[in-house]
Amino acid sequence: MERLLLVRCPELLVEDEGGVILRTFVQVTDAVRTYCPWVTAVRAGICTLPIRGPSRFFGGESAVTDLVLEAAEAAAGGTPVEVGIADGLFAAHLAAQNGLIIPPGETATFLARWPLSALERPDLEELLRRLGIYTLGAFADLPEGHVLARLGNEGVACHRIARAIEGELPGLRETATQERIDRLGVDTSCGIEQVGFWGGHRDSDTRAIRALVAVQELLGVDAVQVATRQGGRSPAQQTRFITWAGPDRSQSPLRIKPWPGQIPSPAPSTIYVRPIQVEIIGDAAEPVTVTGRGSLNTPPSRMSIGGAPWTPVVAWAGPWPALEQWWRANWSRSARMQVVTAAQLGHLLTTQRGKWWLTATYD
Amino acid sequence: MFDSTSPTRSPRGEVAADALALLGERVRPVSASRTQVLPVLAPLRDLLPEGGLRRGSTIGISADHCGGGNTIAMALMAAASMAGSWCAAVGLPDLGPVAADELQIDLRRLAFVPLPGVQWGETVAAVIEGVDVVLLRPPPHVRATVVRRLVARLRDRRAVLIILIDGTDWSEGCDVELRVDHARWVAIGRGEDCLRERLATVTAVGRRSAVRPVCRQLWLPDMSRTVAMA
Repeated sequence: MERLLLVRCPELLVEDEGGVILRTFVQVTDAVRTYCPWVTAVRAGICTLPIRGPSRFFGGESAVTDLVLEAAEAAAGGTPVEVGIADGLFAAHLAAQNGLIIPPGETATFLARWPLSALERPDLEELLRRLGIYTLGAFADLPEGHVLARLGNEGVACHRIARAIEGELPGLRETATQERIDRLGVDTSCGIEQVGFWGGHRDSDTRAIRALVAVQELLGVDAVQVATRQGGRSPAQQTRFITWAGPDRSQSPLRIKPWPGQIPSPAPSTIYVRPIQVEIIGDAAEPVTVTGRGSLNTPPSRMSIGGAPWTPVVAWAGPWPALEQWWRANWSRSARMQVVTAAQLGHLLTTQRGKWWLTATYD
Repeated sequence: MFDSTSPTRSPRGEVAADALALLGERVRPVSASRTQVLPVLAPLRDLLPEGGLRRGSTIGISADHCGGGNTIAMALMAAASMAGSWCAAVGLPDLGPVAADELQIDLRRLAFVPLPGVQWGETVAAVIEGVDVVLLRPPPHVRATVVRRLVARLRDRRAVLIILIDGTDWSEGCDVELRVDHARWVAIGRGEDCLRERLATVTAVGRRSAVRPVCRQLWLPDMSRTVAMA
């Protein structure tokens, strides 16, 4: 089941004749799309995006949630926005209505407490009530054979949802609305456009696509990713990993102008998924810090990466100031610095709240 | 010219076409051999026995403590990527995509399989079925049988493996090994300038074709963010 972030705008669920609602919602999907190009409009007022790639990139699901919520609220013109994450569309929809992030694999536990009305199948609900079943959890506990015998295929489909085996019930998606939203969307204005060659025009494309799909079958869809470029100050911000979605869903390379405050090229060939804490000190063993005026308090002299022995710092550059927008909750100033160790290895360090982290290496 | 995928051809026509193709290869040996070799950036040509990445071959990358391995590995992919080849990076969760982009690798055709986990062997086997250039860092204790099977399988595939061999038990040897030594950053000082260009010695040791090691001084990268002869 695909893990989804779902954005729900409760006041944009029902379309008006003038199309104002749909246009407002398109602004929301476009805003969300800046964080992940593969935003899918489910129906008016609801869109989803696969969360694993962005989550890995932006440093966790709650970080992405904050970012997406901020972007969507700014675009929604004052109407409320709800965001949630869970496995599968059904659970993600319920999670969003409650502003929850349901941990991976805990969807069944989360669903168990919900009343049957969440399925929006009044006939089925009525039948189950007569059996003394009121929650999705109690429904899930019924043996599937019994469900099939008494409630038919429709019942089994709902039963599988309740057991969190399937993620999506027919009915929530509105294909016609999706198409209209896609037409209204201004994809190209945010640098994203469909290109043909993923569709396998050439022999080698077809072979490559087949091989990558085989890897996805082996390891899971999220296991294959592509990077896309975007504006940003640090190397980690300048690209984003997204799940490879096979043919005809890619974007053209986005050549971007130098970003204000961007670290100069070349970019580091290693960007750590998990930054490593670094101690860096001056000649008098005093910790190196960035002053309020954006300069170093002392020239760096030695550093220790992840508790390893001290190594001399023979050269450095920076600091470059950075304001990390997505740590909104604990907004703080951060800065970056390049250092070269005695071994002539170049590193990129980031400081935040008095601590230094090794975020990338020019390997 | 000899379209081997034409659906309308009879089996007999196929035989004839194959014979013609064979003849074509014989009378045009240069272009025929070229189809088996993927291009590399000009400064790297001298380092490789056939002036490029021979399909079905393995290239090992190593570096001393000064680093530079990732950069030369990505630089090796660049020209093939520009020419339309698909590339993949398997088992390299920390590989920097901006650096790949700066080296002109087409990010649309660079697939990352960052965490293949215990299915590393199966993953690489699946990737080499269709991707031209595969950059990988084997798990630390990869089993010799897995490696042998992969290399055997690679021989009749189109793919080229670029293997970051430092810190791994890659046991099969490589057709060519490129080693980066004494990389040093030029220009950056104590609070002056910044990381811009790096000079390094790259030595190529071949198992078969190259008789003696080839050694080159390269900018890795130079000021224009590409690889250049020093």
